Amino acid sequence: MTGYLLEFSQALLALLLAPMLAGFVRWVKARLQNRRGAPIWQPYFELAKLFGKDVVMSNNASWLFRVAPYIVFASALAVTFLIPLIAAPLPFDNIGDLLVVVYLLLLGTFFLALAGLDTGTAFGGMGSSREMTVAAIAEPTIALSIFSLALGAGSTNLSHIVVATLTNPGVALSPGHLLAFAAIFIVSLAETGRLPVDNPSTHLELTMIHEAMILEYSGRYLALIEWASWLKLTIFFALLANLFVPWGLATALTPAALAIAVVTLILKLAILGVVVAVVETRIAKLRLFRVPELLGMSFVLALLAVTSSFLLK
Amino acid sequence: MTFFLLIFPPLLAALIATLVRPYRAFVGWIGAWLSLISLGAALTIAAQVVNGQTPLWGFKIEYLNLEDVLRADSLSALIMVCVAGVASLALFLSPGLGRQQITNPHWGELAYAPNQLRRYHVFINLFIAAMLMAVSANNVGVMWITIEATTVFSAFIIPLKLNRASIEASWKYILICSVGIALAFVGTVLGYFDFVTLSGRAENALNWTVLLATAPTLHPEVMRLAFVFLLIGYGTKAGIAPMHTWKPDAYGESPAPLTALMASSLFAVAMYALLRWKAVADATLGAGYTDSLFIALGLLSLTIAAFSVVLATDYKRMFAYSSIEHTGLMCLGFALGPLGTFAALLHLVNHTAAKSLMFFLVDNIEHKYRSPLIERTRGLLKTMPWTGAIFAFGLMTLIGLPPGGIFITEFALFRAGFALHHPWLMGAALALLAVVFVSFINHLNKMLYGVPAADDINMERPVEKFSWRLALLLIPVALLVTLGLTLPAPLATLINQSVAILSKP
Amino acid sequence: MDTLFSQLSTLGSSVILLFGITLLWRKSLRAYTDAFRWQSAALTVMFLIIGYFGNDPELYVVAVFLFILKVLILPRYLERMEQRFGDQRESQPYVNIVTSLMLSGLLVLLAYVVTRPLVLVSDLPTRGGLPLAMGLIFVGLFVVITRKKALTQIVGFLVMENGIALLAVLGTFGIPIIVELGVFLDVLMGFLVMQVFVYHIHSTFESIDVDQMNKLKH
Repeated sequence: MTGYLLEFSQALLALLLAPMLAGFVRWVKARLQNRRGAPIWQPYFELAKLFGKDVVMSNNASWLFRVAPYIVFASALAVTFLIPLIAAPLPFDNIGDLLVVVYLLLLGTFFLALAGLDTGTAFGGMGSSREMTVAAIAEPTIALSIFSLALGAGSTNLSHIVVATLTNPGVALSPGHLLAFAAIFIVSLAETGRLPVDNPSTHLELTMIHEAMILEYSGRYLALIEWASWLKLTIFFALLANLFVPWGLATALTPAALAIAVVTLILKLAILGVVVAVVETRIAKLRLFRVPELLGMSFVLALLAVTSSFLLK
Repeated sequence: MTFFLLIFPPLLAALIATLVRPYRAFVGWIGAWLSLISLGAALTIAAQVVNGQTPLWGFKIEYLNLEDVLRADSLSALIMVCVAGVASLALFLSPGLGRQQITNPHWGELAYAPNQLRRYHVFINLFIAAMLMAVSANNVGVMWITIEATTVFSAFIIPLKLNRASIEASWKYILICSVGIALAFVGTVLGYFDFVTLSGRAENALNWTVLLATAPTLHPEVMRLAFVFLLIGYGTKAGIAPMHTWKPDAYGESPAPLTALMASSLFAVAMYALLRWKAVADATLGAGYTDSLFIALGLLSLTIAAFSVVLATDYKRMFAYSSIEHTGLMCLGFALGPLGTFAALLHLVNHTAAKSLMFFLVDNIEHKYRSPLIERTRGLLKTMPWTGAIFAFGLMTLIGLPPGGIFITEFALFRAGFALHHPWLMGAALALLAVVFVSFINHLNKMLYGVPAADDINMERPVEKFSWRLALLLIPVALLVTLGLTLPAPLATLINQSVAILSKP
Repeated sequence: MDTLFSQLSTLGSSVILLFGITLLWRKSLRAYTDAFRWQSAALTVMFLIIGYFGNDPELYVVAVFLFILKVLILPRYLERMEQRFGDQRESQPYVNIVTSLMLSGLLVLLAYVVTRPLVLVSDLPTRGGLPLAMGLIFVGLFVVITRKKALTQIVGFLVMENGIALLAVLGTFGIPIIVELGVFLDVLMGFLVMQVFVYHIHSTFESIDVDQMNKLKH
């Protein structure tokens, strides 16, 4: 029973933290650029505003357009049940391993791309095709890098991987782990639509990827999609943080351990948030043709990670 | 001490050439006469080796363990004499010894400026010193370093005249050879790695004698890998196909003495390094592994060379392909047991003489006709009777006609092959040699006879006179004829001892 | 102690290999030079680590030479040439960047296959890095073969040399110092010759693209 409670509270925590994380990154970026910046809870206001507004929809939009936001949101939410956010192992571990996680994330991307095409506008189609280009290289990279961890732990189950790293801390410094970390970090930037692949705060349609797909959305649909994408950011950060630096995660369900776990999770997310903000401030967006090269690089990193953890076992 | 006399003279010559600026003809002469000391030292060492001695030299100070760093057995002595001999010949025939090369108005475009001549005389002597050092080094690391150094030194003087073709040739040469020789170093490191893994670190582990002594206990799988790297590496330097691509370009664009040195001596040195390692690898793996690699690459070299000779339009490049052909033949020979090795070593000596001869003659021809194209070179016997005659002799020797020594060695080589029951291999090699034979005769015909177009030739001296330069070229001719008719006893001993070194059971 | 040593050496080798792979991703000569400089610095650290754990003071001496030659001198020369010729960009290599990256992954896999016997034979704590060093040699070779600018080819060659040095130090804790120093001398001289040629190529061909060199055929 406590297990289920844990699962739900973990999902709830992710849901609540996600907008704050997005706001935090924006705020740090603003400070780095010598702006005062909006408060970090601004995303909550945005959500409230969007939920309160009417939905305006194109006449050409089909049922797909209406369903997509729910699928996107639900798939992201489902992932939060399956990954170790504050505790490991989890009662839902047997429902899905890393493959399920990767494909749930892909499912959301897929439907979003469909919805982008659905209305038949130029920018939507452009965004969808770009998003698919990115996803086609990014997804196998994630799978490969998590595989390299799985090879070390002897299981594709995320919790098992985490526990294996906890019991054998030396693994965290092995080249396989570090390469996989680098690969996933690059892919996270691509998948969550951050610089240098996509600029989340752009207003220039021609350079958009993620934003172009959702140009047609408004009201509560837009709110769901935005929330889902923040959730995705949180999920990737949590994966990065907990798979590679699992310390602080609760292994026993005591209140003290859980409290520590929540605090460390927030801390890790904050650190990664600062890193991303610094990266985004330091570098410019890549030309679109260079994006596959960057992702190719991360794919090679992931491949090397698998190789070294497989052959050095 | 003899080693000192062997290696020091070219270094001294290089030093003198560096100090005297601008270049003066006497610098070249000093270098040429000094090279005779080297040759004498090489012959002395050879004589010692024939009498059963093994000259050694080395020292040890604290950390610096250089015991037995220089060593000469019969194999080294053989190559050493070849290198020193060609070096002397090349230095006596180098540009800038006489006055005419600089002042002759008709040779304007072919003459060299004093700074080019200075550069040439510095680096050619360094190049020779590096080659002599490589064959006298016992330490395979030192051997590698000096062979790499030959690349660097020769690259400086391939483009004595800066133009697009010569720069292209030398860039290809230095890049391909540097990369190749780096791979040979990987092989050397792997060999050392294997030694260290077995018996711990030792300063003298890179000494060939030590390596050979431990070779039977080394790991076969590691040695296999190491030898592949070494074969690619030193094979690049020797111009074994498919790593031969630099050869026609570099031979075509270098000054003649350098080409002669590269085609005969440098090739012999690279082959020497390969043979040293082959002996070690054979002791570890048994002869079958290296032999099959040699046969495969040898046959490939023969094939590529044979068809390139057919298509050749430029006689310098034609001789480069002929070099690749002979490289292939020798590779086959070294893979065919003691008999084949004997034939291949003798072939190496013959080839050294013949190839250096040809490249000097080609230089004469190019000066006269101002074009390396076969189709523009007609009536050689009319315009240059002496050069033409020697040229015809050398070319016929190269394709294996008697009385040249190559006839004997090719015959011995094929006999060794048939004795080892490789009829198909030998049949294929013979067929390819026949292709070379026919196309060489064809090219020779075009060059010797016919009427030269008047505007093509340097008309200052229409008919060539006999000069001391041509007289010098009669030395290799005499050598080739001698080797075709008889095998001098000291040389036979030297080669027999080398065969014994290379084919230890 | 040995586990720490082996982890550090494998980690260091991976970092050094990554700098090599960076070459395939980057285009400008400046990026090439930087990657080479950092790689050489990492290699120096590697020599120090192995010298410390392997109890071999000779390696400290080698590390000093390495640092002077490959971190200070060679990158400085490369920078000077870059200033001379302008920032050369490898805009269209023979193999495009994505394919190069994928191929480099395969090359590293190949290196693992090739060096399998070495890793099995050796019992040194550093053996885990051997495949990575061999991978770096292959990647350097690949850069030399597929890039078109004379300067980027040189950097590829230097990276390959780094790979060899890494292989030597991982596999044997350093080859005899006299040979090591000779190798440094050769690298320096080879580099200087190549550098001279780059100047010649530039003044003769008015570009340092090597695919302009196609005069010599048959």
